[in-house]
Amino acid sequence: MAGAFTYAPAIAALPFVSFLVALFLGDRMPKGGALAGIAATAGSLLLSAWVALTVAGGATYNQTLYTFIEGIDTFELTLGILIDPLTALMLLIVSLIAFLVHVFSLGYMNDEGETGLPRYYAGLGLFTFSMLSFVYASNILMAFMFFELVGLCSFLLIGFWFREAAPPSAAKKAFLVTRFGDYFFLVGVVGIFATFGTGAFAGAESFPAIAEQALNGEAEVTTFFGMDPQTWFTVLGLLVLGGVMGKSAQFPLHTWLPDAMEGPTPVSALIHAATMVAAGVYLVARMYGFYALSPTALAIIALVGGFTALFAATMGVVKQELKQVLAYSTISQYGYMMLALGAGGYVAAVFHLTTHAMFKALLFLGAGSVIIAMHHNENMWDMGGLKDRMPVTYWTFLSGSLALAGIVPFAGFWSKDEVLFEALIHGLGSDGGLGTVLLAAYAMGLLSVFFTGFYTFRMVFLTFHGKPRTETARKPHGVGWNVKFPLAVLGVLAATIGFLNMVPLEKLTGIHLSFLHDWLAHGGIEMTTSETYGTLLHDVAGVTAHYPLGELGTTLASAAVSLGLALAGVGTAWSLYNVDEPTEHTDKLGSLKTVLMHNYYQDEYQVWLATGVTYPLARAADKFDQGVVDGVVNGVSSVSLFGGGRMRRLQSGVVSNYATLITTALVVLLVAFGLIGGWF
Amino acid sequence: MVMIAALLGITLLGAVVTFFADDRYAARLATAISSIPALLSVWMYWQYYQNFQEAGNALLTPGEAAFVQQIPWIELAGFELQYYVGLDGVSMPLLTLTTVLTTLALVSSWTPISERQNQFYGLMLLMEASLIGVFAALDFFLWFVFWEGVLIPMYFLIGVWGGPRRKYAAIKFFVYTNVASLVMFVGFFSLVFGLGDEISTLGLPAIAQALRGGAELGSLFGFPLATVAFVLMFFGFAVKVPVFPVHTWLPDAHVEAPTPVSVMLAGVLLKMGTYALLRFNFTMLGDVAQTLAVPIAAIGVLSVIYGAMLALAQRDLKRIVAYSSISSMGYVILGLISFQEHGVGGATFQMISHGLISGLMFMAVGVIYNETHTRMVGDMSGLADRMPWTVGIFVSAAFGYMGLPLMSGFAAEVLVFLGSFQSTVLPYAPLFTGVAMFGIVVVAGYLLWAMQRSVFGPYRLETDYEVAGAPFHDVAPLVVLLLLVIALGVAPDLSYRMIQHAVNPILDVGGGI
Amino acid sequence: MMPAEYYLVLSAAVFCIGLFGILTRENALIFLMSVELMLNAANINLVAFSAQYGNLTGQVFSLFTMGLAAAEVAIGIGIILVLYRNFSDVNVTDATTMRW
Repeated sequence: MAGAFTYAPAIAALPFVSFLVALFLGDRMPKGGALAGIAATAGSLLLSAWVALTVAGGATYNQTLYTFIEGIDTFELTLGILIDPLTALMLLIVSLIAFLVHVFSLGYMNDEGETGLPRYYAGLGLFTFSMLSFVYASNILMAFMFFELVGLCSFLLIGFWFREAAPPSAAKKAFLVTRFGDYFFLVGVVGIFATFGTGAFAGAESFPAIAEQALNGEAEVTTFFGMDPQTWFTVLGLLVLGGVMGKSAQFPLHTWLPDAMEGPTPVSALIHAATMVAAGVYLVARMYGFYALSPTALAIIALVGGFTALFAATMGVVKQELKQVLAYSTISQYGYMMLALGAGGYVAAVFHLTTHAMFKALLFLGAGSVIIAMHHNENMWDMGGLKDRMPVTYWTFLSGSLALAGIVPFAGFWSKDEVLFEALIHGLGSDGGLGTVLLAAYAMGLLSVFFTGFYTFRMVFLTFHGKPRTETARKPHGVGWNVKFPLAVLGVLAATIGFLNMVPLEKLTGIHLSFLHDWLAHGGIEMTTSETYGTLLHDVAGVTAHYPLGELGTTLASAAVSLGLALAGVGTAWSLYNVDEPTEHTDKLGSLKTVLMHNYYQDEYQVWLATGVTYPLARAADKFDQGVVDGVVNGVSSVSLFGGGRMRRLQSGVVSNYATLITTALVVLLVAFGLIGGWF
Repeated sequence: MVMIAALLGITLLGAVVTFFADDRYAARLATAISSIPALLSVWMYWQYYQNFQEAGNALLTPGEAAFVQQIPWIELAGFELQYYVGLDGVSMPLLTLTTVLTTLALVSSWTPISERQNQFYGLMLLMEASLIGVFAALDFFLWFVFWEGVLIPMYFLIGVWGGPRRKYAAIKFFVYTNVASLVMFVGFFSLVFGLGDEISTLGLPAIAQALRGGAELGSLFGFPLATVAFVLMFFGFAVKVPVFPVHTWLPDAHVEAPTPVSVMLAGVLLKMGTYALLRFNFTMLGDVAQTLAVPIAAIGVLSVIYGAMLALAQRDLKRIVAYSSISSMGYVILGLISFQEHGVGGATFQMISHGLISGLMFMAVGVIYNETHTRMVGDMSGLADRMPWTVGIFVSAAFGYMGLPLMSGFAAEVLVFLGSFQSTVLPYAPLFTGVAMFGIVVVAGYLLWAMQRSVFGPYRLETDYEVAGAPFHDVAPLVVLLLLVIALGVAPDLSYRMIQHAVNPILDVGGGI
Repeated sequence: MMPAEYYLVLSAAVFCIGLFGILTRENALIFLMSVELMLNAANINLVAFSAQYGNLTGQVFSLFTMGLAAAEVAIGIGIILVLYRNFSDVNVTDATTMRW
């Protein structure tokens, strides 16, 4: 079954072709290049499905395709393709979302009469290309390259409406903040190459494999600063984590994401569900064999994830704009995935990544549909009662919201529950600091379940329920098939994708229902299966499970607690906002609300870091340069000029003076030579 | 092989012809003439790529150099001076860069240069001839003639066609770099006299091999002569590069120079400094370089960060690019001192890459200036609305400058980082590398900031003329450069393999490894 | 044969007279004459030593010096004429307009 893998490069190449077509021929094509993009992503989707079927048959693929830079006496840099179950799953997700976003864009961009469509579709094509290439990158350098290109594409698309003031600024911020994270990532990449001499993710010669051998004393690696391998690997892992935190919008590098809502809504869907933000978490999953070796790195990942989940959820509570709520929920949900990864729940993280991709894409596209209807007004307080006027949007949006809030049996429930469950059992079971940190992260994750339920349904009720609060909401703009079709597809998926992996139900009934566990456990390449990861986690990092109520009891208790909290959140939102004329109950939070509206002043301090610290420093450096460094240069020239000005006074122009000078000098010289030479 | 003689002859002859040509057709004539050496050198590059890919270093394994021509010239003070030229994997790409960039720069001068055209284009061709000579010469005397010969046309190009403070800038450039040349000359000749009877020519290969052969040099004022010579030559070349703290001539020269001259200045002239550092300091006195690794790396890292910080404080687009050149050249220094294959090779690749990208940036800024008559970031906004193609290329170039993957800057910088991180010569190499790498964040900061202010946002520029898209012949060189940048970014091996083979001999006898 | 010292003393005396003239006088013509005296002092030396060594090089050189002196006078007279035309005087201390 090598057939599918032979065509694997085309999965990424097709969107690249659509990028070129849209960029150069888009003007002359109907729909501004959209059709090329749709065809290309549909092709990618089919190929991805074929690849996934092949992988399901047990085949995997890890092949170097192109030598980027050869090494004569040193290592080489290559580009290649790695396809294992994780990759196959992610390829499917990315190409599916990209395809639906392309279709949706027909309604959001073309039907709304936007200009610059070729640029838009070119951006989408390049974005899809970069993300797909990132997903099946076979080594960390290639991953970094496409990680960066993903950043470029987000810059181009967030700043799509460049004629206004805000989008370019948001685009700049997105690129700069993620670049800051990527700086650490690149240091990590360089460090990994310097340490292991390879950047391959998978296989016996891969860097996680070498790292494991080094820890067991079976291989020698170069470490730096005299660190022992364990510490040095932790440092490397944390450096790479910098890039992850930037792209996946984890605290404190999350500030770019809410601003990124300035981009067109389909782009937001693509960024948040399947591409840029997912890239960070995916990277940790991709090199999980490396992280599994370091309990410190795991603890930090879990802590960052848990904290971000709670932190972002609280901010989502007070937002007034539809897309802002979704933005903070994205940050929060990626926090869950990080929590899962840190807690040793590799499968749970991938599961949540999958379900989140579906329901978050759905919610963003639903929001896009609402925004079309509301003539691009995004304030929820101007909406209300849209339920009856746009039923397709409402029902699909509701499906997504239930999934996001984690209500059984929608997708989010299964995955979020598994995340929390893994954090709980490993927090209870692991020794020392790791266990404590995991429990703390678990507590934060659990608390944010309540907030998630609350803000999600506050959003739903404000938008769709009650009475219309403005004229636009009374007579919304209609939406076409190209909006409804993606919504319908995703609505069904958001409701059902959780059935991939119903662990609590499996434990309860004894029927085999954890298909994703099986999926991620199979495959023939070293350091890519969840079973390997489980062994490594247990043996090297000391992650151990403990079931205080027995396996079944703990599973059910954990599920019950998280479901209960989610329902409590939904219930609170129901009682406060599901009325005809809702009022702003969050006002009761008083000054806390101001803090939340200002996002805990995170933006303020980061802007201050840029304009209040760095820029004055640059000005000072400029002053120093002009004054001191260049001053010395100009000083030398001034001294020369001044000295010359004085010296020229010797040139009186009177010939007799010159003659006197010459004679005197000659006499002096003669006397001097005489004295030195001993003539006298 | 008379290829290099042909390159030199055609450009020199072209310069003379252009001087006497009429202003009406001088521009087109010069461009046509310069396209001959450009095509010829591309052909030579192709020949080299096919036949000499694996050739070594022109100084250390001179038998393997390509296109060699060696003719005795004069006998002076016991030294035989020769017309001795040849190319290796380091100089071949630089030479091609020179000729191609000159042709493109000449095309980009059509719009901005309207006075004394015959003289302008003649001087440009004269400079091209000198630059070809600098990269091809393998005899010190010949090399030095070309090295100094670059200054003269450059002085006039800045001083006559420059901006308001052109005289200040031109004199500063000339005096500063000339003093540096003097210091370097003293340093080099102290080596020559230190070697004494071991050499009978001023051919660089002979000198390099004698020095690497462990010749006894003696000492000067209590310091080892090799160290004194190294420091003097390093200073002389560092001014040309330029690195902190001897960089201040650069922004003035760039801001005052007309666009095509800036292109040549940033694209090729700065590379003379790093090329000479590689050829003289790091090839001939590698062991000394290794003992001075920490200060040299510190200068490199400081240039990266300090140059980037200075760029952040500027408002003039051209000044921003000028200061960022200092930053990029810092990477070259860091790569050279690493004495690793990817470090030194990456540094050399960075010379090519920066030559293309900075040339592209200056040209793009120039095209914008041609239309808007301002380069101040605060004076304009939303230019993307009026000149979409130019701005598109400008944005691409800016991202190339930031080291976007699949553009040449990324390959170069990653190679430098990979090399310097694992350098065994430099203590605390990862720390130096880590600090230098922060430059990629600052560079993104100022370029994104400048772009946001000038090309995006609502269109605003108060002019009494219509700002429209640039003419085709302004944009065409930009497109060519951008394609080259992407080609080298996707397939670095087009240049990198020959570079690797040429720099590897330097590492072999490097001593400390 | 006369000892060389006599020639040298004569030469020194002539040279000093010339030097004295240059240092004290301001008239351009006297300047010119004084320079001529100094050149001749050098010539005496050349010829004297040439005779001592029996080597003709010195005498040939003195011929060169005479030629040089003649050329110098030609140019000197020219300068003096210009000086007179511009300053109506041949005082060398007046002509300071070209100093900077």
